[in-house]
Amino acid sequence: MLGLSLLFAVQIIGAQVPAQSGAEQKKPPVEPSVPLIPTDVNSSTLIEEAKKWNGRQVIFTGEAVGEGMVRGQKCWIHLNDDAYMWKNIEEGAKLGGYNTGHAIWVDARLAKKITFYGNYLYEGDIVKVTGTFNSVCRDHGGDMDIHADTLEIVRIGHPVKHIVNFKRAWLGLVLLGLAGVLFWVRSIARRHRV
Amino acid sequence: MIVRPRAADFRIIGLYCGKIIIGVGLLMVIPLVVSLAFGEWNAAVDFLVGIGICLVLGLLTEVFCQTTRELMWSHGLVIAGFSWILATAVGAIPHWLSGHFGSYLDAMFDIMSGYTTTGLYLLQDLDHISNGLNMWRHLLTYAGGQGIIVIALTFMIRGTAGAYKIYVGEGKDERLFPNVIQTARAIWLISLTYLVVGSATLWAVGMNLGQSPIRAFFHAVWVFMGAWSTGGFAPQSYNVLYYHSLGFEIVCAIIYIIGSFNFALHWAVWTGKKSEIRKNIEIISFFITMTIAMLITTAGLTKLGVYPDIASNFRKMFFQVSSGHTTTGFGTIYSRTFVVQWGPLAMLGITLAMAIGASACSTGGGIKGIRIGLIVKSVRQTLRRLISPESAYVVKKWHHVTTRLLDEPAVQSAMMIAIFYILTYAIGAIIGVFCGYEPVQALFDSVSAGSNTGLSCGVTSPTMPALLKIVYIVEMWAGRLEFMSLFALGGYLMALFRGR
Repeated sequence: MLGLSLLFAVQIIGAQVPAQSGAEQKKPPVEPSVPLIPTDVNSSTLIEEAKKWNGRQVIFTGEAVGEGMVRGQKCWIHLNDDAYMWKNIEEGAKLGGYNTGHAIWVDARLAKKITFYGNYLYEGDIVKVTGTFNSVCRDHGGDMDIHADTLEIVRIGHPVKHIVNFKRAWLGLVLLGLAGVLFWVRSIARRHRV
Repeated sequence: MIVRPRAADFRIIGLYCGKIIIGVGLLMVIPLVVSLAFGEWNAAVDFLVGIGICLVLGLLTEVFCQTTRELMWSHGLVIAGFSWILATAVGAIPHWLSGHFGSYLDAMFDIMSGYTTTGLYLLQDLDHISNGLNMWRHLLTYAGGQGIIVIALTFMIRGTAGAYKIYVGEGKDERLFPNVIQTARAIWLISLTYLVVGSATLWAVGMNLGQSPIRAFFHAVWVFMGAWSTGGFAPQSYNVLYYHSLGFEIVCAIIYIIGSFNFALHWAVWTGKKSEIRKNIEIISFFITMTIAMLITTAGLTKLGVYPDIASNFRKMFFQVSSGHTTTGFGTIYSRTFVVQWGPLAMLGITLAMAIGASACSTGGGIKGIRIGLIVKSVRQTLRRLISPESAYVVKKWHHVTTRLLDEPAVQSAMMIAIFYILTYAIGAIIGVFCGYEPVQALFDSVSAGSNTGLSCGVTSPTMPALLKIVYIVEMWAGRLEFMSLFALGGYLMALFRGR
């Protein structure tokens, strides 16, 4: 109980402490140069400059991955704008680091336009959304997200063609055969151990 | 005089290491089946090759190392230390063959991270990997959480004569039963029961969140494995943020907090000693240090005004701090958010939580609550001695399953291991700074690796220097085995060259 009380006290007191130094506070408020037209932006910029982009209209394009998770009239989708956006590793793309992208909160009827979500078997649709970026969303417990107003399919995804590596399969079978022989040899060795 | 190990010593070490390699190969059967079920033929072939190599290497080792010699303490510790390296090397085969890694070192990094329940990863394009590979990642962390030696003890090693010596080498010394094999089986009974209950709960929540029944099922099993083993792996690159659900986060938090408790505590509660929850030194220590870490983190967040309201501030802070303190490594924020939004004070709060870590003989890592509890009690005892009359005899007690007197050897042992952890964290951080990272960030990821947590502020990445990857692998290994096995292995190597 004491801990919880302290915790809330810190939250309340902390909220009253100015985030900036006194000198900075005295400066007159600067009108932010918020453009009225949405700006094309990538996920790294949004994460690195979250405060700057908070509340602004953005255009975000990426590959739909995972699945659409419908919640009532709305839906969560995830768009990756990483090195694998147009072609993933399973299709032969070069390694290009981690996946990066953003969570999008969009009308469920708009999300229905998406045919393929990216995974091992599919390259997902490339989707372009326009909406408001929230560095800490009040509606979603502080999540970083984009509340999309429009959704457009840039390219429909497709199944990934996996060509079975028969040489590797044979190697596996040979190794299993060898293991069978060794299993028999081990049982003999066990009888003669010192 | 240092005695040089004889051929017979190597034979007995080889024999048990061979069994553990075979065990890793047999474990690959589960992801192989998953791959076949989903028609992921290339992934299935990768597992087939992995199984083949493990069985051939393990059986060859066993054939050449047959012996009837009894296991000694030094053997047990060396086996525990060495078998983790071998299991990492062979476990990385399917990872490497998948084509999602920049090098074999990267693949080994992920395997060591899995076994040690760390959760850091270098796998690239996680959102396009096969279900088989995802199963393998999570299975590793689930198996590693119980201890790969525990698995071997349960299924593969007959007789108890030397088993306890290997068991202790893996950083677990609790005996739920007089017989160590029964103890290992009890650990599995606890974990499998929670696996069923936890996965079923997450499955129901996942379907409610809009996932299809099959995807919700596999996500539930994998997230459970990541949570219970305090591993922190998740099937999507967004980690737990992917689900956007308070309910999902609460279930995860309950699972990883329970998973971070000592198996002896679980067993005591299972067998009817419910008061143990109130009295246990680790539980008390956990709640005190958790509160301190939450206070520091909250101070940092509120000072910078990161979150617009108390509710979201608490939700984000609690999940990240509890995930760090239980050394789970689940996150509901992007890695770089720690640096660009949370700031140094909040990061230090999380770093402190990670450094202290979970309970001893649990799936978690870090210094451990029992040691922090003992050290604090020892400090209080010393202070009371100073202010008491000279003739007074100051006695302190501590409770963990049974009530015991605080004695010098217990405190010394706790202090020694705590110092080793702090040194490990510091060395990793210094090398991180040497590699060009900011001190707070280098410390954050170093503590995360050494305490087997898995939270990252962006230092850990496929592009980080190979030196740092190796340092983190060693940190994860050392932290998980709690140093003793490492020293035994080092001593053995030294004896090999300098012994007589």
